Amino acid sequence: MFKTNNLVARLFERQTHRSTPGTNIHRTRQFYENLVPSYTIYDVECPDYSFRKFTEDGQYLITFNRNYQELVVYRPAWLTFSCCGEDCDTHDLPSRANKFDSFFNQLYCVSLASSNELICKDFFLYMENKQFGLFATSTAQVHDAPTTGGAVPGVPSIEKITFHLLRLEDGLILDKKVFHNEFINLAHNVGVYLYDDLLAVVSLRYQTIHILQIRESGNFVDVRAIGEFCREDDELFLNSSSQHGTITENSEQRQTLVNNNDGVSNNVLQNSFLSGIKQRLLSFIYRGIWNEEADETERIQQLKKRFYFHFQDYVDLIIWKVQFLDRHHLLIKFGSVDGGVSRNTDHYPAFFAIYNMEDAEFVAFYQNSADDLYILLEKFADHFHTSPNKSMHISFISSHSNNLHAFEQLTCLKIKSGSLSQFVKKTLASLPFTCQSQSPSPYFDQSLFRFDEKLISPTDRHRQSTDHPIKFISRRQPKIPRFKIKPGPEAGSSDARAKKISSFLFHPILPLVISVQQTMYLQSSVVNIHFRK
Amino acid sequence: MMNSSGGGGGRMPTSTATSSSTTSRSSWRSTSVSGSGKRIQKELKDLDSQPPPLSSAGPIADNLYHWLATFIGPTGTPYEGGIFFLHILFPVDYPFKPPKVVFKTRIYHCNVDSSGNLNLDILKDGWSPALTISKLLLAIRSMFFTPNLHPYNAVPSIAHLYQVDRKTHNELAAEWTFRFAK
Repeated sequence: MFKTNNLVARLFERQTHRSTPGTNIHRTRQFYENLVPSYTIYDVECPDYSFRKFTEDGQYLITFNRNYQELVVYRPAWLTFSCCGEDCDTHDLPSRANKFDSFFNQLYCVSLASSNELICKDFFLYMENKQFGLFATSTAQVHDAPTTGGAVPGVPSIEKITFHLLRLEDGLILDKKVFHNEFINLAHNVGVYLYDDLLAVVSLRYQTIHILQIRESGNFVDVRAIGEFCREDDELFLNSSSQHGTITENSEQRQTLVNNNDGVSNNVLQNSFLSGIKQRLLSFIYRGIWNEEADETERIQQLKKRFYFHFQDYVDLIIWKVQFLDRHHLLIKFGSVDGGVSRNTDHYPAFFAIYNMEDAEFVAFYQNSADDLYILLEKFADHFHTSPNKSMHISFISSHSNNLHAFEQLTCLKIKSGSLSQFVKKTLASLPFTCQSQSPSPYFDQSLFRFDEKLISPTDRHRQSTDHPIKFISRRQPKIPRFKIKPGPEAGSSDARAKKISSFLFHPILPLVISVQQTMYLQSSVVNIHFRK
Repeated sequence: MMNSSGGGGGRMPTSTATSSSTTSRSSWRSTSVSGSGKRIQKELKDLDSQPPPLSSAGPIADNLYHWLATFIGPTGTPYEGGIFFLHILFPVDYPFKPPKVVFKTRIYHCNVDSSGNLNLDILKDGWSPALTISKLLLAIRSMFFTPNLHPYNAVPSIAHLYQVDRKTHNELAAEWTFRFAK
């Protein structure tokens, strides 16, 4: 859109030339090619905190203190200084520039965890329209927890998980929600999804999707729990309708069985009914096969082969991960127990299902190698990336559906991969998407910059780092790197063989990046600030 | 006489067919040469050639003694629109002892107790080795239309409601179907 790279010329051009309709923002974003975080201040003097992320509107920097009990919130500022003399441009930065506090103002420090609880350092969700922050604290994991009350065997247990809802403006704790003896996958927000004001929390241990609403007043309200039952009043209905005598007797019996523990749990499972969500899933699969085949004998054969034979496997499936597609539809990933807890779930069989929670019914069911789901993902990835905050910058996160370069990359991978089905499986493994896991920074916009995704990417993860600076190359001028980000000390680390882990925090709007490099087995970390001088 | 032959699943092979398919696999192989295994296999074949209407049944995984049956709620009954999953568990001395039938889907029906166990004459004293799975499936199917009100088989409260206030009974049953059997 711009013919020149000169900033002044671009500004003039913007004054005199209209951009193509609907591309105003794209054109404005091109100014980021001129404003890059190319200057690095190495080893900034800063408090020893764990840096979590910038909020998506750039208003706050979320950090936790090292004993993971307190939340410290900063407001990003900008280094300001004055100089007297003639050639200010060549002037060195003042010595203060080396201080973290020159870039960030501490707003407050709140204690979230007490005694045996710790803040989950990888968990944070942000509700932009209200400036609410959601944090989690938990006690330690117990791995060989007894499977009581219908808990899935093999899933660890956490005695207490607390979600804290904070008003980030002043750090006031608005509400808390506590789960006891549960397991929720909190790392990188995997087990929790925020959409508008709705929150889906996946209890792996009791196989329930808790839907909560965050009210404007800043309170959690339980909307429904999907699992054993599907509608919010199913349990009430069951208990109140006429079979009561026997039902309570039955549940008491179950309770005693449960309390006696050890080995009985199998019995309990065997005598119990299918859970509400399983019944619906199984009947959806059954109907699908039934309707596919018109011929009676053939239908029976198909049912036997595809349904009866695998029935127990379907029953044993557990909910792994959930995301909202809109206010009514959930995309649910089902898999075996083994894959639910482990990090690398790629080689476990898995299924995707779309569930309408208002009507309490499934609308689609796919295998994890389903071509039709892959085609949907390839063409409409942005419909899967549902963002809880309808903010402008979020919608510019590059995906293969909205960005030609990202699409080329995907096509390239597709061609390179030996078998299509393997590739489909691998690509679908990213579903359901994790909430707020990608940085909306314009420097990750693939129509502006190119970078090595192995070294750096918008997905917030720790990465193994090398001593080489990471290059960001302009798409329009691919000859020279536009800027470089180098984590770690300026001179490179003394021990080149030591394994180093880096993480990067990009401000969503300003040319401002924090890089943190840690050496394995060493506590101290090197924090660099990259900005435009 | 009471319940001498029926109901109990104590002598089921694989100690009531555990969910793990590996244990069930090994166990049925060891019993597959037995008469009961042969008989079940033959019934499976017959069932394939003459499937009963709107229902089907077959072994879960490869355990001959543990079957799944599926019923589609018949139109015109309060069970319309529901899909009901049932486990059929065969004893080792089948066909001399009746199989045990357990609903895995919640149903409001006077012949199904609160744990899902199905109580029918032919699963108890009325059982005869001449009966087959397909006859059993037919009996279960007819149960959806007309419950067996004999006190020996029925949950009293539901049977009572069925007799004195059919309308409420049907409404309740339909509500159960809508909530738990969709």
